[in-house]
Amino acid sequence: MWHSQQLEPGVLFQDIMLLEVFLVLGTLLIYFLFSKKDEETLPFKDGWWGRGQKPVTKEDSSIRPFKVETAEEELSDLFRRLDQARFTEPLENSFFHYGTNSVHLRKVVSYWKNQFNWKKQVEVLNNYPQFKTKIQGIDIHFVHVKPPCLPEGQAAKPLLMVHGWPGSFYEFYKIIPLLTDPASHGLGDEHIFEVICPSIPGYGFSEAPHKKDFNSVSAASVFYELMLRLGFSEFYTQGGDCGWLICTNLAQIAPSHVKGLHLNMVLVTKLGLSHLLSILLGRYFPGLFGFQDEDVRRMFPFLKKWLHKILSEFGYAHIQTTKPDTVGCGLNDSPVGLAAYILEKFSSWTDMEFQNLEDGGLERKFSLDDLLTNIMIYWVSGCIVSSMRFYKENLQKGIGTQKHDKLTVQVPTGIAAFPNEILHIPQAWAKKKYTNIVSFHFMPRGGHFAAFEEPELLAKDILQFVDKVEKEQLWKKKGE
Amino acid sequence: MWRETLPNAWSFDYSQKNAVLVPVAALGVGGMLLYWLRSGRKIKTIDMGEGWWGAGERPPKGKEDTSIRPFKIETSDKEIEDLHQRLDRFRFTPSVEGAAFHYGFNSSYLRKVVAYWRNQFDWRKQVEVLNKYPHFHTTIEGIDIHFIHVKPSYVPHGQAVRPLLMVHGWPGSFYEFYKIIPLLTEPAKHGLNEGDVVFEVICPSIPGYGFSEAPHQKEFDSIATARIFHKLMNRLGFKEYYLQGGDWGARITTNMAQMLPQSVKGLHLNVVFVTLEGLGKVISIMLGAYVPWLVGFSREDARRLYPFMQKNIYDVLRESGYLHIQATKPDTAGCGLNDSPVGLAAYIMEKFSTWTDKSFLHKDDGGLESKYSLDELLTNVMIYWVTSSIVSSMRYYKENFSKDPNIHNRVGVYVPTGIAAFPQELLHAPRVWAKDVYKNIITYTYMPRGGHFAAFEEPKLLAQDIMQFVRKVEQL
Repeated sequence: MWHSQQLEPGVLFQDIMLLEVFLVLGTLLIYFLFSKKDEETLPFKDGWWGRGQKPVTKEDSSIRPFKVETAEEELSDLFRRLDQARFTEPLENSFFHYGTNSVHLRKVVSYWKNQFNWKKQVEVLNNYPQFKTKIQGIDIHFVHVKPPCLPEGQAAKPLLMVHGWPGSFYEFYKIIPLLTDPASHGLGDEHIFEVICPSIPGYGFSEAPHKKDFNSVSAASVFYELMLRLGFSEFYTQGGDCGWLICTNLAQIAPSHVKGLHLNMVLVTKLGLSHLLSILLGRYFPGLFGFQDEDVRRMFPFLKKWLHKILSEFGYAHIQTTKPDTVGCGLNDSPVGLAAYILEKFSSWTDMEFQNLEDGGLERKFSLDDLLTNIMIYWVSGCIVSSMRFYKENLQKGIGTQKHDKLTVQVPTGIAAFPNEILHIPQAWAKKKYTNIVSFHFMPRGGHFAAFEEPELLAKDILQFVDKVEKEQLWKKKGE
Repeated sequence: MWRETLPNAWSFDYSQKNAVLVPVAALGVGGMLLYWLRSGRKIKTIDMGEGWWGAGERPPKGKEDTSIRPFKIETSDKEIEDLHQRLDRFRFTPSVEGAAFHYGFNSSYLRKVVAYWRNQFDWRKQVEVLNKYPHFHTTIEGIDIHFIHVKPSYVPHGQAVRPLLMVHGWPGSFYEFYKIIPLLTEPAKHGLNEGDVVFEVICPSIPGYGFSEAPHQKEFDSIATARIFHKLMNRLGFKEYYLQGGDWGARITTNMAQMLPQSVKGLHLNVVFVTLEGLGKVISIMLGAYVPWLVGFSREDARRLYPFMQKNIYDVLRESGYLHIQATKPDTAGCGLNDSPVGLAAYIMEKFSTWTDKSFLHKDDGGLESKYSLDELLTNVMIYWVTSSIVSSMRYYKENFSKDPNIHNRVGVYVPTGIAAFPQELLHAPRVWAKDVYKNIITYTYMPRGGHFAAFEEPKLLAQDIMQFVRKVEQL
């Protein structure tokens, strides 16, 4: 009865929430006035993240093989908690509009208890060689897969792939063989990779930082040290979600070492007058703003695809940025709560329409085994709280205000834009930050968890990007 | 020159001048636009409407059971045993060094709370405490409404006893009023006055909270709640009554006054929601820093409002993550909390820390026990736990925020209103702003101390303010 006619019907939020968006837009408008293209490198961020004081003795830099293990006790504890889970009935006809639907969650929990085989999944995880090594005071876990065979005279190209939240190194398990052994998968053998997938400190089997202030630049610095320690002086990097930011920072810290940067997600944090104008007018004069038809299709109507989405989907980011220890506490104690929280993202970030389904569309693109394996990594490592702290360390000082936000990226960049990604950034905007975009493709299908959902599409895009970079020796051309 | 100063606007050690002007201008322009788009004609009252919140279809013609049934809270060995098992197997995450309460509830302090909860907290004893006031259930619009109803034990001849409905908020409960109730039903005994103003107090639980049944249908908002509470008072035989509320209670009681002003003798609030839109507000924010008197701010208003960005924008953003997630994904946010009592306690008690005093963020123990006892805090948490009401309590945010929030502000409130402005409340509303909605402010008091949970933390101060307000209303 009192819905406004002018704004998008159905969802209007309290001014406090709109304040967030206006505040960000308003404050960042100031920066437009004073922005200048900055091509300096981002300084490497050294740190000590271990407990207590940094010891005087030299750090142990050995690389130790690691295997995921499980025990009866771990499983019986999990089952007891699943058995005693307390559910709340959903409202009638609410589907996934209020978050994870508990009727469907009950089914998932039943599968988890009766059919999911964690011991078998642990063997799956251990299929690829894993290692741990201490960097800047904390143990860094990573998967390192070398090609099974290499043609005469060809060297494997090192590729660092970084996951995000609420994902893990496990997201790459399907794409790894496509990259280390492309020939067996019909992808040719011109470019063969050895793949390194670390766990971000505070995620999975990487130790969590004990000190404050471990942000994306810290992670990038740690991963840079990791690649050097593994003997790589030149490598490719790939990432989405947090991985997007960490890989971007890595390219900013060590441009002479990063041959190419491939991203399946991009965000821009410096919005200026031209962005504002393109939002207002881009639908009607796309050419004027460098928008392609597909850009327009994915970005407009702006209120629905941006504003509404940010408001309705970013509550988790808001609370994790401000009170990670509070929100994570219960999730580290209730596996069902943890599953609900994580699965909700695998639903809506794969396809926003899945919210209208009773089962959240979860099994349309993923198997329950895969989804639960990812959740189990958070559960058995007890890392949900530390994974959330990463948001606070990166965002609470202000979005778009840090040094790395102001610096550009000159490393050859390839962007795979998936249609169901949460927010679409057109090339016209991305190139203000990534000044050397070598390939930008609108992918035909797929959402946020690209490697997990569409490994073949992503692998193909990575391969064509690397091909371009190698053929044109682009990495040698970057700003000397 | 600007280049050096303005980038500091975002880092939150800034000078007020730099910080206020440009972002507020952006806010103002945006807000103005929004205000324009949404302003409609002023309506006099809110339509009462009707609703059905029970499971399934509304039953065909047939009168609803209107009986008022006495109710006693109960517990069992099984319930306590289950709780203890969950406390025993809580999985703890160490905090980063030096975190205090800046990352949320500090886990080292949480461990101490859990140890107390497991070994010293006596739920059976607390249930007896809860049952010292009479509880009732009655069915309205298809759901069971829980309330306590406390009458003065002794009323001298000729003394008028005024009915007072007090409504809690989130993450509180009817239990927040337990210390203030005796001060209102028997003021003379507590040295509060000669007993000229005496109340009988009714504290319901909002549907979906505590012992009130949760709505089974979507769209149960504060207006539906207001209507149900009017029906409750009517069923109890009251034609005219006083209302008191904070947090959601402030919104609900405000809606009640907007809906049926003829039934509301007076409305007392310890929280006032104001919107920051409109050119007038923007100008008063900008000018108020320099010439507060020009825009109707008192010195105390200025002291509480500024630095503006810090107190009203940054602090609010820092504290409103819960609101954002609950207003969008309540079933997700509440799921784990209904399964992990420790998670529930951390989530709820974090608010009792920060919303009582913002400086508690710097303390390792969140300053909780400086204002409350662990028994009190845990009893409130237990109400959410034993009723499994955390998810439905969170849904209330989604149901209220997905509608036009400004209906509340476009309909004026004409009943006599009293406002108690507590210094540690998250957002301060100066009288000049409150007047936009509350057209008939009889009293406006700057309280000397206290935060968001006024009745819980400063029952005597709040009781005194309610009484002086009611005294003034009765003299009108």
